Amino acid sequence: MTRADGAAPALPAGTLEARDVYRSFGGVTALAGCSLRVEPGTITGLIGPNGSGKTTLFNCITGFYQVDQGQVTFGGVPIQGRRPNEIVHMGVVRTFQVTRIFRGMSVLENMIVPLRQQTLKTLFRPAIGGHEQERAEHLLEFFGIVQLRTHLAGSLSFGQQKLLELASALMVGPKLVMLDEPAGGLNPIMIERMAGYIHELNQQGTTFCIVEHNMDLVMQFCDPVFVLHRGQTIASGPPSIIREDPLVLDAYLGD
Amino acid sequence: MTGAAALQRWWPWVPLLVLVLLPVGIRETFYLDLLMTTFMYAAITLGWDIMGGYAGYVSLGTVGFYGLGSYAGALLLLRFNIPVFVSAPFIGVLCSLVGAGLGWIALRTRAAAFVIVTLTFTSIVQLLALNLKGLTNGSSGLYMPLLTLPNNLILLPFYYYMLALLVFAYFVSRAIRGSKFGLGLIAIREEEEKAEGLGVDTSLYKILAFAISVFFACVAGALRAQYLNYVDPDIAFDLFITLSPIVMALVGGRGTLIGPLLGAFLVQPLSQYLVFLLPSSVAGQLHLVALGVVLLLVVLFMPDGIVNAYRSARAGGSGWRGRRQTAPPAEAAP
Ligand SMILES: Nc1ncnc2c1ncn2[C@@H]1O[C@H](COP(=O)(O)OP(=O)(O)OP(=O)(O)O)[C@@H](O)[C@H]1O
Ligand SMILES: [Mg+2]
Repeated sequence: MTRADGAAPALPAGTLEARDVYRSFGGVTALAGCSLRVEPGTITGLIGPNGSGKTTLFNCITGFYQVDQGQVTFGGVPIQGRRPNEIVHMGVVRTFQVTRIFRGMSVLENMIVPLRQQTLKTLFRPAIGGHEQERAEHLLEFFGIVQLRTHLAGSLSFGQQKLLELASALMVGPKLVMLDEPAGGLNPIMIERMAGYIHELNQQGTTFCIVEHNMDLVMQFCDPVFVLHRGQTIASGPPSIIREDPLVLDAYLGD
Repeated sequence: MTGAAALQRWWPWVPLLVLVLLPVGIRETFYLDLLMTTFMYAAITLGWDIMGGYAGYVSLGTVGFYGLGSYAGALLLLRFNIPVFVSAPFIGVLCSLVGAGLGWIALRTRAAAFVIVTLTFTSIVQLLALNLKGLTNGSSGLYMPLLTLPNNLILLPFYYYMLALLVFAYFVSRAIRGSKFGLGLIAIREEEEKAEGLGVDTSLYKILAFAISVFFACVAGALRAQYLNYVDPDIAFDLFITLSPIVMALVGGRGTLIGPLLGAFLVQPLSQYLVFLLPSSVAGQLHLVALGVVLLLVVLFMPDGIVNAYRSARAGGSGWRGRRQTAPPAEAAP
């Protein structure tokens, strides 16, 4: 496997910390004082039954939702209240549970949309070409889809689209990548491939926070693991401990 | 450079050369006026499409900016003696600033507010034109002195000025299309949240795009006022100026470089011809109806416009979302 040089983090490492986060929608309380801590260098898992608030927490961390109460910091700097694009430029990028790519663009163009930082100079640069294109193709090569670069993104297979979404997220040079169900809907072979890429990228220095329902995957790759239940963090720790935790077993079986 | 690449690069100069030389052969006012109006609509449509096509945000405020440009041109001439040919580009820049302000109000969210704000803006400007009688002379309008040129030449400066505006609009649109900014606008059209999640400052992009896009309607409005030597609220805020570019962009193909041009060069002559055929008493209303019918037909049978239909027919793809003119594939880069 080639090294994904393009993905090398551009900023010094930082810890993501969400403390006592509350968020409700009308009458529905999605987050009721949950906490999450992602240390640099880890693949941190975030699990919990359906509707326990995992995606909502992702949205609160990455600026798509505002928190009602609580604190979110990255590298010690509060990030709540900032716009998603600002949070990206601080080094935190996310993917979506339902894969989102620019279907009408070519694969390569999908890789060029992301912005590492925003200056007026970068805005009016030619879209395709130069160092950035090299970086993009390097990443596509890493994910084994470089031969598709001129293809329409919408014409890719589901698995390839998921790879493209991750690849394009890496174009911003993130310190922390938050993946909402990276293996969701993938076939076993593709799951293994995806897990391999994440592991490899982590070895190269990228931190991950992963929401995943595939327990084998979580237990194999994530440490620590945080467990959400009804909007609260009910457990956290190494997978071997989490697996045995009665509260966790209860949460999964009790619903 | 291969032959195909050279053709790709140089072909726009051929029709331009024809248009530049045309007045040498054609002297009939009817045709020159028709061409000039077509240039005007093509420029306005190219501008509208930067926002409406690339970014996917439909503006119903085109005539607001056009009218603003008309009055600004007239007033600068009447009060400060600045010829419209001189003031027009500056008026355009000024309107872009107004556009940026309006965008700042309406474009920081993804809500449908934009359509409503642009519409409201038009009504407000029109109301001001009607009621600031000291400045605008209300519904009686403002008369502007004729250019001192022999009658048979009076059209030419406008013809070439509009043509220059069109060429400028074309190159602006082309530059945007090929830039990271343009790619960002298309990303906004396709998946705005996703674009934001990849570090794109969507508000800034949209505001900038809107500011650029209204420039052309403003300049056109200023020039047109001088061409008619007169401006009043009915002329300056003719609903056609808002509707035509939308129809033209839809006919030709939204979000493409050639679509707006093609649309303007098809629809404008056609609709002028219609007016020419009909008795003047009904021409006004029927004209609007005809525009509506064209729009309906396009939406029904060619929802992506001519350019996109052609492309997807060739590529076997899926319409304007599916295939657009893109930068040359990686292999073609030097
Ligand atoms: N935008 C919203 N409006 C209203 N309710 C919402 C919204 N987003 C989330 N919720 C509610 O918040 C709760 C938590 O949802 P969330 O999507 O965060 O769960 P999840 O843990 O990601 O579930 P899953 O594993 O199914 O993806 C659910 O009850 C959901 O209906
Ligand atoms: Mg979820």
